[in-house]
Amino acid sequence: MGLARTLAIRAVNLILVLLLVLFLVVVIIGATGTSDKILMSIVRQEVSTYRQAISRTITDPEALEKAVETYRQELIKAYGLDKPWYTRIGDMFRRIIFLDLGVSKSLQTFSGSNKVVDLIMERLPNTILLVTTATVLSFIIGLLVGVKLATAIGSKLDRALTYFSAISYALPTWWTGIIFILIFYFYLRIFPPGGMYSIPPPEDALARFLDLLWHVTLPIIVLVLATVGSNIYVTRTVVMNIAQEDFVLAARAKGLPERIVRWRYIARVAAPPILTQLILGLAGSIGGAILTETVFGWPGMGLLFYQAIISGDEALILGLVYVFTLVYVIARFVLEIFYVMLDPRVRI
Amino acid sequence: MLQVFFSSSVSKLGVALLIVLLAFSIYALVAFPPDYGKLVWNNPKAWENYPKSAPPSWVNFFTQSKLFEHKILETREPVVFRAPDGTIKKLYYFDLDYDTDEFPKFFSMSLRDVRYWKSPPIIALKLLRPDGKAVELTSFIVSSPREGEKPPYLRYGEEPFILKIDSDVNVWRSISSFLKESYGLSFSPSEIGRNPERFIFGSPIEGNFSSPLKGRYRFEVSVTAYDDRDSVGDISLILGGSVYGLLGTDVIGRDIAIGVLLGFPTSLFIGIITSVIVTLIGCLLGIIGGYFGGKIDEITQRTSDIVYNLPLLPLTIFLIFLMGSSIWNIVLLLIIFGWPGLTIVTRSITLQLKEAQYIEAAKSFGSSPWRIIFRHMLPQVMPFIVAQMIFYVPTFILLEAALSFLGLGDPSLPTWGQMLELGFRNGAIYLGLWWWIIPPGVMIVLTAFTFVLIALGMEPVVNPRLRTG
Repeated sequence: MGLARTLAIRAVNLILVLLLVLFLVVVIIGATGTSDKILMSIVRQEVSTYRQAISRTITDPEALEKAVETYRQELIKAYGLDKPWYTRIGDMFRRIIFLDLGVSKSLQTFSGSNKVVDLIMERLPNTILLVTTATVLSFIIGLLVGVKLATAIGSKLDRALTYFSAISYALPTWWTGIIFILIFYFYLRIFPPGGMYSIPPPEDALARFLDLLWHVTLPIIVLVLATVGSNIYVTRTVVMNIAQEDFVLAARAKGLPERIVRWRYIARVAAPPILTQLILGLAGSIGGAILTETVFGWPGMGLLFYQAIISGDEALILGLVYVFTLVYVIARFVLEIFYVMLDPRVRI
Repeated sequence: MLQVFFSSSVSKLGVALLIVLLAFSIYALVAFPPDYGKLVWNNPKAWENYPKSAPPSWVNFFTQSKLFEHKILETREPVVFRAPDGTIKKLYYFDLDYDTDEFPKFFSMSLRDVRYWKSPPIIALKLLRPDGKAVELTSFIVSSPREGEKPPYLRYGEEPFILKIDSDVNVWRSISSFLKESYGLSFSPSEIGRNPERFIFGSPIEGNFSSPLKGRYRFEVSVTAYDDRDSVGDISLILGGSVYGLLGTDVIGRDIAIGVLLGFPTSLFIGIITSVIVTLIGCLLGIIGGYFGGKIDEITQRTSDIVYNLPLLPLTIFLIFLMGSSIWNIVLLLIIFGWPGLTIVTRSITLQLKEAQYIEAAKSFGSSPWRIIFRHMLPQVMPFIVAQMIFYVPTFILLEAALSFLGLGDPSLPTWGQMLELGFRNGAIYLGLWWWIIPPGVMIVLTAFTFVLIALGMEPVVNPRLRTG
């Protein structure tokens, strides 16, 4: 039962974090008047729909205006816009959680909807596809190279890696992306400048998949490059520290093959702290995704975020902050399940 | 400790780079006024005389035909002549060594601060070509006093007067008659108007002016004044080129080299100040929480746990969007989101140290808690804290650059992130304007890299296991 209980406590903790963030966000947008703006734009949208609907039945312009104005006042009351913002905290909470935030000012989904919830839901899978693939790849490479290097501390390769991880840490993901586009699109013409599919996308399923692969290569390389340096470095340092422990020496003294010592004795103990690094890097990956998607025109939530900032779209930004936090919390929880499975000591 | 630090080549390189960065920053702060960003850098009017999206001039070393480098010829001390009738003639000379295979893109004259007391001065521009022929290009009279205006009469005081020589019909006419007299060639003024630079700087060989006449050109601007006190502020001649300066120009015509230079102090300032404050707050809370325990510990631990577990970038973007993008808001938010990591680590170190025997001993002597913290614990944690502080600098430099790139940078300060944002939004990558994209990015990487190197050099100091030899 220890496993389930530990996970339940972690889940409650993470949900509390999410709720706390939401609460702060609601208070901030309430106090700055942003929530009023979002609600007012919902009201305007509904009023204009209403006007169109009744303009067929009411022909007298004066009566029409009057009916519209009455409806508007009703809506303002219904949304609580006639009362101060703190009376609407509960309502705003519900709106954010269900992404009931009205429509975007200037953006549309591919099917033509401009609802905030539709926009975000359309982009969400694309972001998850990109970030998950890159994170998993970076983790695997980090593990393989890091374990290898830990046995060769101070070697030429090790020193080269120290420099590489320093450069990788210092490289802004988005700038690497820009340079990659300049090289591989502008000069060499072997990769597309951005997007997810060619326009028009290929009909055939296999061709479509290959087209996706062609488009996703550069963004993935950029995201992996941004994180792989620190993954390798942490794995190397953790593994090196463990390799100097007495039980490893004892295992070697027993004459166990190096392969078994390396993977069963060292890697087993090193896995939790390496996973911790991955958990800590998660927030960075999400940030990296915002920038990488922007640079590569990848139609995910990050690009949507950029477009929302540029067009000053409060409702969309609010929804995206919530969904990013939600995705982060869920991803963390998934990683923590692994962590608890790997390291029995943290079980309660 | 310093010896261990300087024993690695990583730290030596890091410190050397840091000195270079600081030198550039100090130069930028000394050479440019603090409001340069607002008044000049972000003011498109100030860059009117510069070529747009021009590559750096050193691309000429790598190309077959030489491109014309943008030139702004500045005022020299005039030669003064006094005529017996009391008029004063000031002659300003400008020399131009012309050796490129391309004509200038445009040709104009800029005048500033003309002051006169009696009658308005006459200004004329004459050109002496390398083949010895001279042409009077244009002349004009500064506008007369308005009704009720008192001397001295100031003209072109607020904004310079820019005379576009190549689009002036009078210039076309004078070139037309000059070609007739000097070379016996007849071109109508409207024919010349299509590309006057071709005739002004062209070679008359074969009579078609298709290539430039190379050699030394001398421009003579004469100012005929009628009073001793009359003066002219600045005169400059602008020859539009297709390459410019050390790093070229952007789409507005701004000198990218200046932008890159101005990015140094901002970037270092944000990185260092944020890192120092974050380290101070983080360590203090960590040590206090770890040493005293109790309620303070509980509160700081809970808060840091929550803040540490937030997706930093989306929230920072959201808050900057609401608060407005000033440099102080950016620093403030980076501090708010930055401190918990260090608090968590310092706290756990303090908890370990607290149990050490020498601390117990100090306690039994009756040392106060603060004395124990500052005299016995802080020196132990110090190398670690300093290493962390240095390691945080690139994090904040990169975050600021990322915010700038997303269009949330402080608009009154030129930053590398903002230069890249403008380049990206104007399609610089797809047009191949590499000089606009590579230098600011390289500077960001270099600045961040410097601190990463120093932090790596600190590691053997902090973790003796890593010491070699």
